[in-house]
Amino acid sequence: MTPAESANAATSHRSVDILVSKLRRRQVVGSREAALETLRVLRQVVSKARFSNIDQLVSLIKSVGRRLVEAQPKEHSVGNTVRKILHHIREEYNAASKSNGRKAIKMDLSISNFILQGQMRKQNGALKSEATITLKEDDPRDPDSFARALKPVLMEAIQDVLDELETVYDNISKMAKDHIHPDEIILTIGHSKTVEAFLKSAGHYRNYTVIVAETGPSYSGHTMAKALSAAGISTFLVPDSSIYAIMSRVTKVILGAHAILANGGMFAITGSLLAATAARVHSTPVVVCAGQFKLTPLWNLYHEFGALDFADPSSVLGFEEGNLVDKVEVLNPYYDYVGPEMVDVFITNDGDHPPSSVYRLIKETYDDEDHDL
Amino acid sequence: MAVLPLDVYEAYLRILKDPDISQPLAAIGVSTELIQASNAGTTAELVNETFEALSELKRRTPGSVSVQAGCDLFIAFMTLFPHEADTLSALKAELVTQGQKYVAEALSYRDKIAQFTLGFIKDDSVILTHSYSRVVMKALLNAHKTKRISVYVTEARPNGLGLKTYAQLIEAGIPCTVVLDSAVAYVMDKVDFVLVGSEAVVESGGLINAVGSNQMAILAQAARKPFYALAESYKFHRHFPLSQYDLPTHTPSILSFPVLSAGSSDTHDQNSGTSPEVAPGPDDGNSRARQSSQAVPEWRMTAEQISCNPEVDYTRPDLISLVFSDVGILTPEGVSQYLVGMFAG
Repeated sequence: MTPAESANAATSHRSVDILVSKLRRRQVVGSREAALETLRVLRQVVSKARFSNIDQLVSLIKSVGRRLVEAQPKEHSVGNTVRKILHHIREEYNAASKSNGRKAIKMDLSISNFILQGQMRKQNGALKSEATITLKEDDPRDPDSFARALKPVLMEAIQDVLDELETVYDNISKMAKDHIHPDEIILTIGHSKTVEAFLKSAGHYRNYTVIVAETGPSYSGHTMAKALSAAGISTFLVPDSSIYAIMSRVTKVILGAHAILANGGMFAITGSLLAATAARVHSTPVVVCAGQFKLTPLWNLYHEFGALDFADPSSVLGFEEGNLVDKVEVLNPYYDYVGPEMVDVFITNDGDHPPSSVYRLIKETYDDEDHDL
Repeated sequence: MAVLPLDVYEAYLRILKDPDISQPLAAIGVSTELIQASNAGTTAELVNETFEALSELKRRTPGSVSVQAGCDLFIAFMTLFPHEADTLSALKAELVTQGQKYVAEALSYRDKIAQFTLGFIKDDSVILTHSYSRVVMKALLNAHKTKRISVYVTEARPNGLGLKTYAQLIEAGIPCTVVLDSAVAYVMDKVDFVLVGSEAVVESGGLINAVGSNQMAILAQAARKPFYALAESYKFHRHFPLSQYDLPTHTPSILSFPVLSAGSSDTHDQNSGTSPEVAPGPDDGNSRARQSSQAVPEWRMTAEQISCNPEVDYTRPDLISLVFSDVGILTPEGVSQYLVGMFAG
């Protein structure tokens, strides 16, 4: 480690340590909260970091990211945020170098790169316009000038991501009235803030009914039903066992997601697989509302049964049943894996996408080399 | 048609002698040699010459979709990629270096793919594979270093390459059993997932591989088992088959019925022609001596009967779970993205 890096490590340690212990103790609840906290920590790390070339910065952020992900590997939005920041950093750096006339990250003309990139077409979508003009930078001769020049642009990029995270609910709810028609009967499960905002927004324009499943054993459906009926939407609360029975009367199933996987599948609260399967049988559309920060470039998580987070088993079989407790093994999985064939569309703050194009979204949002932090 | 400076087919066969080099890589190797030997004066002449030579190669290897993939890739690279060379000789030199570099690098792709596959293999996995594929072999040997696996491999008639897989796996210490092609449905419930190599991956996201892969994919889907295809990126081919018979490898002689002359009890018959001497009973082994009008001592297909059968088949993309490639782990839909990027304007 160079002296610059060890200095960085010392200063940024504290905020990272605090977040690591919070994550480990699960004091950060909810994927959006985790993403926001991660972003704030990364903002501090970048602002205090000292680096003289891009690789140092990238490896610094990667090491911070690795620590955070290891603290809570089931909370995927942490890793996603780190990857997003890395992607933005590289983008800004490339844009800045291009304005210098230099080729930023040298891609040599080989056949393998031909396959990877296709023909050299400009496919830059959302490049920040501010980045192309202001930057001049050096190679590592005057170490601080590079950092000084690049940091303001990076902080702006991070601020953009932060703004995007803070307006996730608003952006997703914008299209709500186009997705819900008058006199529809919507089924939902659990208490997802994204879905709640979505339904409340549509409630301003349309008259419709929502059926909320209780979602044992956490019974988060109760709070969802209360919130929706307080907003003036006619709500029914039903036990989970009747999901299949009432599905023939339901016109749409709207679910929230914990993480969207690279193949188009998703992790969602337990009970979602039940609702999705019942919907499939009745050919009812299944719509998932999730922010883009939930897109995870990981593939094989669903093969591991342990990838589902497990919650406290006492809510399933409490200790008051002392007789049974040591005779029965109790599992309380918190999430279900729902395959891509069960979902019809993902509504994200960046538009609506079918599960089959999730891989493309992931390609655009993250860089390939960041998949393993 | 100009005289080619190189006998492409002979060069192709020569390069193919190296057991690690697959057919598309050999095609690229041939292109490299061709450019080296070329006397073209202008870029247009060079391009034409390469194009003609590779067309000739494709003509001489009609059954091979993967050769076509390799040829098309090189031609696209030559014509569509912006080169920085100023003169023709610099361009030629660059193309030659790039071609040679790619062939050398491509041999490392199998390791990359093996690494990707490792993440999907759990301890005590039972894997079903088809015929012989170098990339699947690498993946299995790589997994064997850190996990316990056992493998079922199909015999893969008519060339019986499954036995080659069997021999190599046993030698490495991986428990392996050869399964009859007809017993795939029987064994499917015992299997955790199916892993196959590929000859080519086509634009629809489907797979072209040794005949029997389609069967395996349909059975895997019926039994709800994942079906994974391993393909290096130079096997991506810009072809969109609409059915099995739409493949370039399909000729009119495949699955054709023979012309029968009246009253012949020919053993060349497509139906299991019962020779009048012996009635075939329930078979429990294939060593049944029988007298016949031919010198064939057992019930075996003749070479002519075998020639009426296809060598490769097409597997639809909806039957494939994932394609593992050196450019990453792709859903079948993701494959066409790369193809369009490479070949579309």
